Amino acid sequence: MKLEIKNITHQYDVEVLHQLNFTLTNYKSIALIGVSGSGKSTLIRLLSGLEKPSEGSVLINDVPVSDKLYRDHVGFVFQSHNLFPHLSLKRNITLILEKTRDKSKQEANDIATKYLKLLHLEDQMDKLPKNVSGGQAQRAAIARALSIDPKIIFLDEPTSSLDPILTHEVLTAVQDLKSLGKEFVFVTHVLSFVRDFADYVIFMHEGNIHEHGTIDILDHPKTIELKEFMRKVH
Amino acid sequence: MNKPTVPSLKKALTSNTARILAAYFFAALTIIAFIVWVVVKQTDNFSFAPFIDYQNLIVRGVGNTILISLISLIGSMVLGFLFYLLQSSKIKYFNALIDIFTEIIYGTPMIVMIIVMAFLIGPAFNSLNRNFFGVLALILYMSPYMKNVFKSAISSVSEEQYLAMDLFGFNAYQKYRYIIIPQIIRVLMPPLMNNFSLIIKGSALLNFISYAELYYVINVAQSKTFAFVEGYILMWGLYLLLTIPLSQLTKMIERKWAL
Repeated sequence: MKLEIKNITHQYDVEVLHQLNFTLTNYKSIALIGVSGSGKSTLIRLLSGLEKPSEGSVLINDVPVSDKLYRDHVGFVFQSHNLFPHLSLKRNITLILEKTRDKSKQEANDIATKYLKLLHLEDQMDKLPKNVSGGQAQRAAIARALSIDPKIIFLDEPTSSLDPILTHEVLTAVQDLKSLGKEFVFVTHVLSFVRDFADYVIFMHEGNIHEHGTIDILDHPKTIELKEFMRKVH
Repeated sequence: MNKPTVPSLKKALTSNTARILAAYFFAALTIIAFIVWVVVKQTDNFSFAPFIDYQNLIVRGVGNTILISLISLIGSMVLGFLFYLLQSSKIKYFNALIDIFTEIIYGTPMIVMIIVMAFLIGPAFNSLNRNFFGVLALILYMSPYMKNVFKSAISSVSEEQYLAMDLFGFNAYQKYRYIIIPQIIRVLMPPLMNNFSLIIKGSALLNFISYAELYYVINVAQSKTFAFVEGYILMWGLYLLLTIPLSQLTKMIERKWAL
């Protein structure tokens, strides 16, 4: 994908990102890493078009992320699954396909079943989110993100609310998706996953892109901050 | 040798459900025994027979209790929702108004509200329609409670869900129809039904302004039949007949609909 960040500033109560500029081409799986509060979650939300920056713009593959054409092809997986709690895992998917993607009931059902099976949830798909485990709910959220046939899938710390075993379960499921030919941008604290899955790493520090490069930078960090970060996470 | 039924009966009795059922049975028995003791102490020949002549009156009283409770329920829901909107409004004056009104209602006994409305505020509007102002008092009294019910139900749909709805491209109608309202109703129903029960019980206070609801008609019948003990028991029983099914239904909905 081609990623262009043009002079973005973003603030909630405090300024999180300040006049950020960045361009990147030809990578398919980009990891955003950094300590909590470094602005990585904000950045992934801006890249996905989920939020609009206070100032500046983001273009992905030459399309502004605020464009409907772009947003219709974005999959987003939230920190906590964020499934609609009153709908079964399957209905969480079919509702979106029927109402916003003009699929027939039958088509929606087929697509939902296909992706839930892909994430090994065939036995769980008629259950409500509260009646499945956190890992299963998060996998259903991934199936939901996939079901709209996105070009790019954004994952915002998809395992932050899970214990190590469920984390492994979810990340293994994500790795199996490599063969689908999708592009990924993700935030995670699990460095082994970054090594296995990313082809480019962006290290955020205090609202800035402090260091970036292929996964080699994890082993040979140039800046003190990334060295420090690597030491702490290990 | 034991008959085969004996061990299975023993097993059934020691199962948890059976133990809980037994506990409820004996607890209910204790309370009924107490009431029977009071009744026996207070009357020689207990009989509901004198009330047969007044059954039309009593049925009308029960009907009126249900009617004004339903009117108050709907009225206080509408007003409560309006209060919710005013409290979340950007106009500070409205926020303050609802805040102060809520505080006043919390500090006011329901009976005082009814008397003030019927005998003070009503006449100030040149109206002696005490029934209207009595019911209006019930509605006003319940509205802040209804406001809270709406507030917690609406806030139960998280910000993240709104983000997800936007992301997937639902339009405003679809968001409300398929995602927001179905969730809100599930959260709304149990406290709403609790409030309905409060209204039914509170409506008994309308007897102070001589409205012919359940409490009032039983009083009338008692003054004719002199069957006071039976009258009180009948009144009590009829209120429970209205409220207990409601609270059981509420519990069932809570269990089935919890998210």
